[in-house]
Amino acid sequence: MGAGKTTAIRAISDIEPIVTDVANHDTSVAKERTTVGLDYGMLSLDNGDRIRLFGTPGQARFDFLWQILVRKALGLVILTDNSRPDPLADLAMFLDGFALQLESVPCVIGVGRLDSHPQPTLEHYADLLEARGQVFPLLPVDVRRRDDVVLLVDTLLGQIEAGMQLDLP
Amino acid sequence: MTTPIDNMPAALRETAQQCAAACVAEVAGIQAAVIATIDGFDLAAAFRVEQDAARIAAMASSISAISGVVAQEAGLGKFRHVTIGTDAGFAIVHTAPRADVELVISVIASEDAIQAQVMHRVAAMARVLAAA
Repeated sequence: MGAGKTTAIRAISDIEPIVTDVANHDTSVAKERTTVGLDYGMLSLDNGDRIRLFGTPGQARFDFLWQILVRKALGLVILTDNSRPDPLADLAMFLDGFALQLESVPCVIGVGRLDSHPQPTLEHYADLLEARGQVFPLLPVDVRRRDDVVLLVDTLLGQIEAGMQLDLP
Repeated sequence: MTTPIDNMPAALRETAQQCAAACVAEVAGIQAAVIATIDGFDLAAAFRVEQDAARIAAMASSISAISGVVAQEAGLGKFRHVTIGTDAGFAIVHTAPRADVELVISVIASEDAIQAQVMHRVAAMARVLAAA
């Protein structure tokens, strides 16, 4: 929660994103508004393809929406906020929440606020993934920067294409 | 600055609990009533059969927010309520805006309930909560 999912979609969407943010009453996160439904945006690729971007609420109490929004997803981007009290636990929560899908759906992990909060490092994140037997690209990200978010999506698309080629006879 | 969930006025919590309990006790067919903040924290709940108030609160928050987008995109003004009909009953999600905190009321009713009666009661609850 607070990792910037709405901001990330806004940074790259070709359309004005649909957002469902409301007043936040959760004292564990210092922000005025929070997503409780979904975010939606669209990104046109250079080849003319368009990808739909769906953002979920970050709090575990909305995990029923995670299962709805991930259906038929081509890929998954998980954003974490390194300024949170335990960002590795946050990542583990998402990895658990999407465990079934992550067996087959490509995933990229973006770590935010690494500049101001260097711990845990990307190596710590990689160690967590290794301990779980998972391997996903890990990238530092500033969700306000379009280039950073596009790089996340490009990396995910690379994962998806690689997976498609592996599926070829 | 919004009111933190832990600092919600005690009088509001009490009124909300009374509303939820009376709703379940007095209206035939109502199985559950949950009053939550707009971001999905349950403030009060009453059940005929025990259910997960936190989960209902979170779902009501999502339904309310998504319904609000639909209302906005359709040019229908500000969202007030939505009814989900099923083959075993219905659920109503109704907003109860206040100056300090926006609330969402969820009521789950069986097929024995009369929808207009439940809707009337929920709207009355929203007025009470708005004034509390």
